[in-house]
Amino acid sequence: MAVKITYANTPVSRLHPMTKIMAILMLGLCALVWPDFTLGLVLVIALFVVSFVARIPSDFVKIMFGFGIPVTVMLMFIQGLYSPKNQTVIADFGFAQLGLEGVLYAAKIVMDLLVFLGSFTIMSKTTYTGALVAALTSAGLNAKAGYLILASLNVVPQMQRRMSVIREAQNARGLSESGGLFSRLAAYVPLLGPVVMSSLTDAQERGMTLETRGFGITDVKQTSYVEVRWRTVDKVCNWVLVIMAVIVTAISVGIYIGVIPALTPWAGA
Amino acid sequence: MGAIVEVKDFSFKYRDARRRAVKHVNFSVEEGSLFAIIGANGAGKSTLCNALVGLIPHYFSGARAGKILVDGSDVADSTIAELSKTIGLVFQNPFNQLSYTAGTVAEELAYGLGNHGVPRDKMVERVETVAKLMRIDHILDKNPLELSGGQVQRVAFGSTFIMEPRILVLDECTTQLDPMGSEEIFDIVKKLNASGVTVIMVDHDMERVARYADTVMVLERGEVASIGTPMEVFSDDSIEQHGVDVPDYVSLSRALGGPIVITEEPAIEMAKEALR
Amino acid sequence: MTVELRDLEHIYPSGDIALAGVTLTLEGTDPVAIIGQNGAGKTTLVKHFNGILRPTSGSVLIDGVDVTSHTTAEWSRTVGYIFQNPDDQLFLESVRKEFGFGPKHIGMDSDVIEQRIGTVAELVGLSHKLDTHPFDLTPTEKKFCAIGAVLMMDPSVVIFDEPTCGQDRKGTARLSHIISSLRESGKLCVIISHDMKFVTMNCPRIVVLCHGTVLLDGPADEVFAQPDILRRSFITPPPITRVGQGAGLKETVFSVPAFINAIATERNARG
Repeated sequence: MAVKITYANTPVSRLHPMTKIMAILMLGLCALVWPDFTLGLVLVIALFVVSFVARIPSDFVKIMFGFGIPVTVMLMFIQGLYSPKNQTVIADFGFAQLGLEGVLYAAKIVMDLLVFLGSFTIMSKTTYTGALVAALTSAGLNAKAGYLILASLNVVPQMQRRMSVIREAQNARGLSESGGLFSRLAAYVPLLGPVVMSSLTDAQERGMTLETRGFGITDVKQTSYVEVRWRTVDKVCNWVLVIMAVIVTAISVGIYIGVIPALTPWAGA
Repeated sequence: MGAIVEVKDFSFKYRDARRRAVKHVNFSVEEGSLFAIIGANGAGKSTLCNALVGLIPHYFSGARAGKILVDGSDVADSTIAELSKTIGLVFQNPFNQLSYTAGTVAEELAYGLGNHGVPRDKMVERVETVAKLMRIDHILDKNPLELSGGQVQRVAFGSTFIMEPRILVLDECTTQLDPMGSEEIFDIVKKLNASGVTVIMVDHDMERVARYADTVMVLERGEVASIGTPMEVFSDDSIEQHGVDVPDYVSLSRALGGPIVITEEPAIEMAKEALR
Repeated sequence: MTVELRDLEHIYPSGDIALAGVTLTLEGTDPVAIIGQNGAGKTTLVKHFNGILRPTSGSVLIDGVDVTSHTTAEWSRTVGYIFQNPDDQLFLESVRKEFGFGPKHIGMDSDVIEQRIGTVAELVGLSHKLDTHPFDLTPTEKKFCAIGAVLMMDPSVVIFDEPTCGQDRKGTARLSHIISSLRESGKLCVIISHDMKFVTMNCPRIVVLCHGTVLLDGPADEVFAQPDILRRSFITPPPITRVGQGAGLKETVFSVPAFINAIATERNARG
């Protein structure tokens, strides 16, 4: 008997949640410390590959482009046209000039953000929240904090269910939701009272039932039904991530203080 | 065997309430027995359940007097979570008994065990046993939010007794179940009771109370109106004045003019006799 | 008032088949009980009577009108539905306002509303609580408040979903009183319940559902005379009935007086 696998069983979903958190932190760190956008770009491309391995490419592409394109346009506009660093004009629109330095800087910020967003997306789409919290708890996260994470993730679906029941009950009392936008919105007002009220009383009652099930015992270490395995591959991944971060940081520092010449001077380091 | 629960001159008034929910209640429950509390709505049954597991005074504030001893120690000196090692409560509303942190029924069942630090292999074993017993083994992978009322009630019951409390308090725990489903649950209760678990149950089904309880206590407006064996309590003519029903077998045996019977089998015998 | 179901099927989006072809006609004023095991489809069935749920196939006709031709809100003046949890249905700041809400919505005359508030409050036992906030009512009173709010619309069909859940002796007696007075005023009550005592005391006709189909349908004494079939839907006859069956009584009885009568009849018949 196993916990239902809600996620496609792939090498990525099988990783320990802490490995994935480590990946977010280390990859993000690498992109951040690197003096220009090039490493970030390499990592983003790598994340696209990972999303294929994790069998979530369409979700991943949607999020990356949905966020990436507007942010890129916005930053290019602000930094490219108005950055004080701008010296080299690459295009002249008449009313403003596009500067190379600003564009490169914008590219760096966008790549840094995409590395964080991309690795976080892969983690959240391939990790069962219960497993994440179990891993965090066994790593020393407070049981109450763990509860808060899980409970707040459940608030929305619960409210939705509640809302639909209450809507049925109110319709049965003659409350109509048809008509124009305004009358439909107005029809929602009577729903709010019961939804809020019942959520409050439910939350109160739930708080007390949790304690009768041992929530808040202080003298024992909590265990979890959800199994998270720490395998050799996790060990390897963690070491690789840490070593990579150390090397990247060392090179970056070298470049900053001038010991190492810029590897990609064209990219605006 | 001695008393495992002792309630001594216990009174409680919820904050903001006009009158006391229970007043000067005295009773004790023998270890390993099945103790039933009956009474009209508002008589104080749920208040007593809350007090037994420590929700009063640790959760509900108000004016309180007297003492409740569970396994010899005052509930006021412990915490609710600590008490959960000894005494478990199945609430009236099963929907609010779920932790809402579990993605599956299996995790929901295991929730209390996790809080008690039970190792995972033992946990898995217990979940499997309890799920089979409660006949919810086919929904172990389901999201608890998607269950029907009857299923939630089974999960709520299972998630309490999986913690193996020495005392099990049941506050109308089968209201959502069909007749045979309720019977099934009470068969399990009876088995747990036979294995030594002390059971305190609140129920409106008098036939069930008469069939299962060793002792029945009638509450009326927060006070103990009567206490004794089911036979003593239900054969009392005045018992219905306290707002409770009696098993139909009692009225039937009265109408047939025979000795009072409170359970099905003797009632059938009596009816056969009358038919002859 | 006639509720006619023709080959009614309902399949939930999850793919679960809740109703697998129900053909049934409910009419007249005799209260009808819908019973059956958990998950048999009882609530799904009655949620079609006012269009909360739409049939996957088949049809529901209320006095010959297809239920899908109007919204649930429009049906509320014809078909009243009392939910199991009153908290879902109440949302105003006093019992009086709860009672007045529905009728005002359908354009009932304000004098009529005032008059109805008096009678309905009397019927559900809330005459002295009309200005109380529903939130301050006891759980039992809340349930009666929800019943009152639905009855205020004067619907011809009234559906009760598990009305006895959480009720004590007094509450159950009041429910019986409400149902019998609705019957007298020509309404059709449909009651979903697990409480066999309540069902047999109040409903002459019983419909037993099992896995989304009708297992048994008929007068209470005929339905409960078949305990073996009832078991298939996890139903056991009420205590008195079981005693009668156990003792070999030919008639199916539901009350002590009926039991005594039946004994006398059988003994007389034997001479």
